[in-house]
Amino acid sequence: MVGHVARCVGQLAVALLGIVTVAFFLMRAIPGDPALYMLGDFATTEALAALRARLGLDLPVWQQYGVFLLRAVQGDLGTSVVTGEPALREILASVPPSAALAVAGMAIAVVFGVPLGIIAAVRQGSAVDVGVMLLALGGISFPVFWVGIVAILTFSHALGLFPALGATSEPGFWKGLHHLALPALVLGLSVAAYIARLTRSAMLEVLGQDHIRVARAMGVPERRIVWKLALRNALIPVLAVIGVTFAWSLGNAILVEAVFSRPGLGSTILKAILARDYQLVQAGVLVLAAAVVLLNTALDLLYATIDPRLRQR
Amino acid sequence: MGRRGMLAAGAGLGLGGAFGSPVLAQGARTLRVRFGADVSQLDPARIFQNENQSVASHIYSGLVQYDQATNAIVPDLAASHEVSADGTAWTFRLRPGVTWHKNFGALTSDDVKFSLDRVLDPATGSLYRGQLASVREVQAPDPMTVRIVLNEANSGFLHKLCAFNQGWIVSRRAVTEIGERYSMNPIGTGPFVFDRWTPGSDVRLTANPDYFAGASTLTDVVFRIVRDETAAAIALENRELDVFYALQSPDVIERLRRAGGVTVLDRPANNTVNLVLNTTVGPLRDVRVRRAMAHAMNRKALVDGFFRGTKFEATSVLTSTFQEFTEEDVPRYAFDPARARALLREAGAPNFRFEITTVGLNPFDRFPVALANDLQQVGIQATVRVLERGAYVQARSSGNVQSCVTAVVGPPDPDSPLVTLYHTRSHPPGLNTSRYDRADDLLAEAARAPDLVARKAAYARLLRQTMEDLPVIPLYADRLFIAHGPTVQGFVQNSLFTVNVSPVSLRGA
Repeated sequence: MVGHVARCVGQLAVALLGIVTVAFFLMRAIPGDPALYMLGDFATTEALAALRARLGLDLPVWQQYGVFLLRAVQGDLGTSVVTGEPALREILASVPPSAALAVAGMAIAVVFGVPLGIIAAVRQGSAVDVGVMLLALGGISFPVFWVGIVAILTFSHALGLFPALGATSEPGFWKGLHHLALPALVLGLSVAAYIARLTRSAMLEVLGQDHIRVARAMGVPERRIVWKLALRNALIPVLAVIGVTFAWSLGNAILVEAVFSRPGLGSTILKAILARDYQLVQAGVLVLAAAVVLLNTALDLLYATIDPRLRQR
Repeated sequence: MGRRGMLAAGAGLGLGGAFGSPVLAQGARTLRVRFGADVSQLDPARIFQNENQSVASHIYSGLVQYDQATNAIVPDLAASHEVSADGTAWTFRLRPGVTWHKNFGALTSDDVKFSLDRVLDPATGSLYRGQLASVREVQAPDPMTVRIVLNEANSGFLHKLCAFNQGWIVSRRAVTEIGERYSMNPIGTGPFVFDRWTPGSDVRLTANPDYFAGASTLTDVVFRIVRDETAAAIALENRELDVFYALQSPDVIERLRRAGGVTVLDRPANNTVNLVLNTTVGPLRDVRVRRAMAHAMNRKALVDGFFRGTKFEATSVLTSTFQEFTEEDVPRYAFDPARARALLREAGAPNFRFEITTVGLNPFDRFPVALANDLQQVGIQATVRVLERGAYVQARSSGNVQSCVTAVVGPPDPDSPLVTLYHTRSHPPGLNTSRYDRADDLLAEAARAPDLVARKAAYARLLRQTMEDLPVIPLYADRLFIAHGPTVQGFVQNSLFTVNVSPVSLRGA
């Protein structure tokens, strides 16, 4: 167990170093820099030189990289060049809204996606199956920004059930949940469509296997076959997709965040890239990468609990 | 803001129970304003972007200010001012009893001197150092008097001191004590006090009960970031927002005009959007080619068709909001493809490759396509190159662009667009990517002019000359739209690209 944890930490460190290094050099490879961004229309040669010197951008890139690494291992990810605030503060401030959206969205996705997929598989070829798969096709095909606007027009404007602004900075758990409901539903249903399709095909595959046929021949009740014998096997690929999608929605729910005016990690990193706010990008990439790596580790452990065969390796 | 927030804000301001209780008893009167983008920088020496300037305009004051409705220059922190006979020494008497937010003490002339010296100091890296180029020295002979000595007379000098960008006055003590983090922890003397910034979500200000010109009837203002215009429109209709700032989409403008209880305001803005031609390369060196291009582009169709009437046609880089604006004898270039072809033939450049560089932001990424199409109709092989903002600024500041779509935004100071686009001081990395060099003398003459009449005459000459030489083709003049809900009263729209809700009150709240 200790060895396993040590291996995980080692992997985490290597992955983070690699990702941050790529981000560091990619940001410096694209045209434009923070000094140009800030001086913009009023740039003069002298002002640019002065600002670049103040920001340390006049040093050779490898030297900048060294300074960055040295500070990063001490836990200092620098200050945003635009706002002067610690980069990590702004990034960490955008983690809770992203995590809340991802968790709520994923809960909705699982609650709708898995049962619908099972029902479609059990009733393969029936009207229910066709209906569920048509819905799933719609969920995958309609872009979330369009579904989002339609949802706002329907649930917020016409019915008055939820606020049009999908976030609030005012305190209060229930207030926050009320604002979160609609964006979580839009994100969740688009993911539910994937999960329903995947659950259906995984279930169909398992239901066609020999051990299920044997169980049926032995007279095991159908309910037990579906929910106990087949589902447990079918869940492994579904779990993999849930994990990947969760990590994806932490950083990439930008469109949902934009439509519902929510802050979030994806939006913050995008803003930082556009402003060439190097420190903010690096801090954001680091936090996002750490979240993804940790999530995958947790998923690996979860597989083992579901599938005993994995435990023996 | 909830009760707890009010208490926190009260405590932050160091206010005793004597003030706190009556406000709580009346309940919060919070005004919610939509922003399209987040804020990032509230230090006047380094401030840029409309959202930042909008927030700062509630926090800071200047020695003088633009009247929001008329653009006339009226007193702010200075109760009065006088100019020496030779026009080089400006003396300002400060209003007594003005205090800084959050217990940073009383305003003195030393703060004014500190603010201006700070912008002038090259080490500050201020964007606006050039704006104060005519200043020789700032003196503080006594705590209530500021004396500014200029290198030479400048009748337009008050524009540089108006409450905007470099004109906003900061506290020496606050800037020194807060240090590196001042940018997002600003201290001013204005009607609202900075409370907190939630990145990606909102900025909150609380009313300054000690504001020298009378406290606001609002308790606080929230600038809420709502990126999508349709979502913002629905939020306004749902009463989740009170003011919709930066309204641009013709569709959303139409929608809100039909919505019940919503008032849509519009006003000509100070800014124009232009095609800046590099006059040092290829056929663009020939003025006939530049004029041919102006005749080839159907700018009326752009305004009426693409923008569905939400912009104005521009006749120069000054708009009607400037006191110095004139159209008299300023050459115009009507849409006339035949004339364009004739001019091109005359110049010996019947067809050539031409590239328009523009920025990948709505609407700048789309409308140039229509202009390129117009140019192709007269034989110019025009293409559009759309660059992401950082790459666009890099390309523009390198000066290696054949032409560039450039928007100029600023206060109603004619030097703002004219120096920025035509002065040699603004050659790349500045905005004068045409590398035009015939305006310096006329701009200096306008600055030296003793009064408004003489100034107007000097600027008129400059407008005529620049529209004849045509290093810059004005494409359209901007028009600002703002919408507000039924409870908002006393809203005044300015011609800057900012929103200021200081005079607003809420009805029935």
